[in-house]
Amino acid sequence: MSGFFQTDLGIVILTLAESLALIVPLLIGVAYLTLFERKVMGAMQLRKGPNIVGPFGLWQPFADALKMLFKETIIPTGSDRLLFMIAPMITFGLAVVAWAVIPVNNHWAIADINVGILYLFAISSLGVYGIIIAGWASNSKYAFLGALRSAAQMVSYEVSMGFIIVTVLVCVGSLNLNDIVMAQRHVWFAIPLFPLFIIFFISGLAETNRAPFDLAEGESEIVAGFFVEYSAMSFALFFLGEYANMILISAMTTTLFLGGWLPLFHCAPFTWLPGPFWFLGKVLFCLFVFVWVRATLPRLRYDQLMALGWKVFLPITLVYLVAVAGVLEYLGWLPNA
Amino acid sequence: MNRLGRMAWGLVLWEILSGMALTLKTFFGPKATINYPYEKNPTSARFKGEHALRRYPNGEERCIACKLCEAVCPAQAITIEAEPRDDGSRRTTRYDIDMTKCIYCGLCEEACPVDAIVEGPNFEFATETREELLYDKAKLLDNGDRWEPELAKRLELDAPYR
Amino acid sequence: MAKVTVDGIEVEVANGSTVLQAAEAAGVEIPRFCYHERLSVAGNCRMCLVEIEKMPPRPQASCALPVADGMVVHTDTEMVRKARRGVMEFLLINHPLDCPICDQGGECDLQDEAVSYGRDHSRYDEGKRAVAQPDWGPLVKTTMTRCIHCTRCVRFTSEVAGVPELGATSRGETTEIGTYVQKALSSELSGNIIDLCPVGALTSKPYAFTARPWELRKTDSVDVLDAVGANIRVDARGAEVLRILPRMNDDVNEEWLGDKSRFAVDGLKRRRLDRPWLRENGKLRAASWEEAFAAIAGRVKAVAPDRLGAIAGDQCDVESLLALKGFFTALGSENLDCRQDGAVFDASRRSFYLFNTTIAGIEDADALLIIGSNPRHEAPVLNARIRKRWLAGGFTAGVIGAEHDLTYPAAQVGFGPDAIAALLDGKHPFAETLSAAKTPMIILGAGVLARPDGAAIHAAAWQLALKYNMLNAEWHGFNLLHHAAARAGALDVGFLPGANGKTTAQMLNDGVDVLWLQGADELDVAAIGAKTFVIYQGHHGDAGAARADVILPGAAYTEKDGTYVNTEGRVQSGFMAVKAPGDAREDWRIIRALSAYLGHALPYDTLQELRAHLAANYPVFAADFHRFAGTDTVAPAGDAAAISSAAFVPVFENYYQTDAVSRASPTMAACVAAHAPAVAEAAE
Repeated sequence: MSGFFQTDLGIVILTLAESLALIVPLLIGVAYLTLFERKVMGAMQLRKGPNIVGPFGLWQPFADALKMLFKETIIPTGSDRLLFMIAPMITFGLAVVAWAVIPVNNHWAIADINVGILYLFAISSLGVYGIIIAGWASNSKYAFLGALRSAAQMVSYEVSMGFIIVTVLVCVGSLNLNDIVMAQRHVWFAIPLFPLFIIFFISGLAETNRAPFDLAEGESEIVAGFFVEYSAMSFALFFLGEYANMILISAMTTTLFLGGWLPLFHCAPFTWLPGPFWFLGKVLFCLFVFVWVRATLPRLRYDQLMALGWKVFLPITLVYLVAVAGVLEYLGWLPNA
Repeated sequence: MNRLGRMAWGLVLWEILSGMALTLKTFFGPKATINYPYEKNPTSARFKGEHALRRYPNGEERCIACKLCEAVCPAQAITIEAEPRDDGSRRTTRYDIDMTKCIYCGLCEEACPVDAIVEGPNFEFATETREELLYDKAKLLDNGDRWEPELAKRLELDAPYR
Repeated sequence: MAKVTVDGIEVEVANGSTVLQAAEAAGVEIPRFCYHERLSVAGNCRMCLVEIEKMPPRPQASCALPVADGMVVHTDTEMVRKARRGVMEFLLINHPLDCPICDQGGECDLQDEAVSYGRDHSRYDEGKRAVAQPDWGPLVKTTMTRCIHCTRCVRFTSEVAGVPELGATSRGETTEIGTYVQKALSSELSGNIIDLCPVGALTSKPYAFTARPWELRKTDSVDVLDAVGANIRVDARGAEVLRILPRMNDDVNEEWLGDKSRFAVDGLKRRRLDRPWLRENGKLRAASWEEAFAAIAGRVKAVAPDRLGAIAGDQCDVESLLALKGFFTALGSENLDCRQDGAVFDASRRSFYLFNTTIAGIEDADALLIIGSNPRHEAPVLNARIRKRWLAGGFTAGVIGAEHDLTYPAAQVGFGPDAIAALLDGKHPFAETLSAAKTPMIILGAGVLARPDGAAIHAAAWQLALKYNMLNAEWHGFNLLHHAAARAGALDVGFLPGANGKTTAQMLNDGVDVLWLQGADELDVAAIGAKTFVIYQGHHGDAGAARADVILPGAAYTEKDGTYVNTEGRVQSGFMAVKAPGDAREDWRIIRALSAYLGHALPYDTLQELRAHLAANYPVFAADFHRFAGTDTVAPAGDAAAISSAAFVPVFENYYQTDAVSRASPTMAACVAAHAPAVAEAAE
């Protein structure tokens, strides 16, 4: 049997099965993330959140999905029909594809490649295309403004994110995500690189257009931003994409700073629980913080957003990178040196 | 604190953390949600809900067309026309309230010298069409007949403060 | 003159004035209910109490206390306030707390003063007085329970109106104001007691319960139901005129208004022409403006200009008359006449057809001769002015014409033109009165001019004025009393037949082929030739509209900005209070539009341009009003030989229904039924 999976066909089937095994839980996860968000936000606002559909409102995501399915897909008259339809697919597709390299346990990744982190970075950078295309194709001023804001914002924060990742790489000496996790056996990078961990997380908020950086949607100013013209399933794809990206950023944070699937301490009873459980737990924690931040903080002004990215995060990460490299060099701790 | 000090303090994110601490506290606090159609919040005897025109116990309508409510209405939602009734008494021939204009301030109720127009306890009068919210005299009198026991009780409860 | 100090303000007032008048001169307001500037002093409400230094230390009623030199008056001391509060409390003992159902609510003197001097609740535990409601006719609604016995209504009817029908019976708390025997008030000025009543005891019956004063849009206007040109305030709500009140103008109507002018408003809502009509196959059908204009154009173009004619009615504004005159002149017709009653007289000079003494000037006259007129019906407010003059003393009046109760004594000089001849000869006993008078005046009723011998009587009356020294540099005693509001203005713009033009009588009976009736309803429509194409422009479906082949809906006087000239020659303007109903338009605009349709566009597009045109061509409309001096003694033309001996007959059979508006008014119909049963029966 194991021989079959060594053949070309076997590898394809195996990969497909693996992908399916990842995508289906991911989609369900996204669906329940919406419920999770509404519940957490509700609790923080002294409400109960959805509690009518099913026990504790557990069927709510399916009700929402059904609603989305049965709604009419409206394509604006003045829009570019092809691009208009492609944009949500790009967004959603990229959000899913990125997951190929995330290891949920030791060597449990669909593609355990050596340039994993680079791949992740490349894919998440492409996400801006979906948004730009959506804003352009809608032929609506709000959508266009939203797309412009969104693109500028994502590009800005990717720069500091890049430097943070480089810092991590300097500490690890490998682009392989599995190696990055394993490098945190003794201490999670969140501890020595704590400021970078925080900045990475905040940049992650900006990267996913989440509060308090949701200027691309900015209901009070530009209605709903780049997806103002979208409805029904095309809207749902954007929605799924955004939430999948949230999970992705949480997974990246987990992998880069929180020790991936590694347990809290390397001793019983923590080691009794399998790796994926730890991974899931850490991702959930990150997602909770995502929602928590949204429930707490008001939206930034756009100039504040740009100033934060370019005038605060960029210098700090740059200086930190040089400092880390210098310290490692001085102490002779540089890996593979 | 000088500018540098403020910047350094800003890096600690103290305000953000204290804000998040507050939301976290409410996260674990008791919830205020009620199961609306089955549970309802208690309302005050002064709750200003749907309007009603009351009658005297003998069935005579109270409203005497003095038009004080029309004059006091800040939203100009009330329209009254009057003429002498066959028995010579002063009555309205038309008493309309545009419930879409009404801001439920209760000034009409306060202005009324005969407790004819009142805002009752009912707040569940949503309609499917806008036209249904343009109340005429018959609708208001009908409301009065329907809610009279509660209306009388509310007025009695509020009387000591009038 | 006496020097008086009121609240530290020193004023000088005439000897014999009251303290209240002195306070008014000082700008200090004193609350009052019974006192009224134009009525005698009663001093029975006691609200006007003030404190006066060096007088017995008790409050004094300021309305009845004559001033003395050096008096020091205080109107706002603790004693005064306490006294007024006491008076207010007594007044409110029997006054019901029914403001919400009282029509006076919102414009009530008692309500206003109670805010200043009333208590927040009553200390009175006894039973309140209640009084049965007497019926005073179709105009005045009584709620005598609210009466505070100020007796303003009693004094008004007996002094100003001269019809002493009201009085107080019993004493003290049981006092009641009433007519003794239940009857409708017979005065033509009875509506004014509604204004005078400081509380809601007397209110307007037709207006009962319809509106509150704060709902009304108030527009200044001029009354057109008689030729006095009383200043009025039109109160409207939405598209409806609800009531008309007099506006103060000491030169014209003081603050009175005749009942017809006040209560005929409901006629403005009935029988209105709100769209053009066209007669087809003998029946009128609703039409569009385009159709109506096309029908007129087809007819007018097919007829020679001298076969076109226009007759103006009694309520036209000067603007529409000027436009109509301009239109007909452009068409080449001279057949214009504003005298729909058929009168023909010399109108070549302004003083021939005006009330030259002026209404306020009546108070300077010391003898009066009325020829063929009943001013009580033709101009009730003017008649009140004559009565006011008579009350002042040293005044004698005489009447030539039918006998009337004029509310003041008048010698019956004669019944017809022969009495004029007798006076001219100096043989009549009344001639001595006229000779002895320093400022005698003649009032010649406009109805007289409609007689075949009208022009001759006009000339004879002028001769009379000349003979008895009524025309001199200081005095002009010749007066023509019109009863049509439009007449003086129409004569001023020369709405009269041209050199070869036809008069009203000549235009009737097929004198013209196309006849334009500008709101003319009081002519004999049966006399219009059967083949004549009649265009009626006006606001009511009355006699003229019934005969018309084309009806152009115009605006009534409350619905347009209009200029009117009253019988004195006073130019007054009223403003638009509401819009004309339906498709109806302001009259001058209709004529302007039609003139453009026919290719003779009038040279003005806006009301301002029209008025500028009016002022430029007729200087009277730009000049200030002044009384004529009687130095121009050229007599009007008139053949003395033509005078017949027929007695003068009254112009109006009944006061209440004289024009299209009042004929459409149910209130006026009720008045006719109440006061002139014979006429009412005849109408049915």
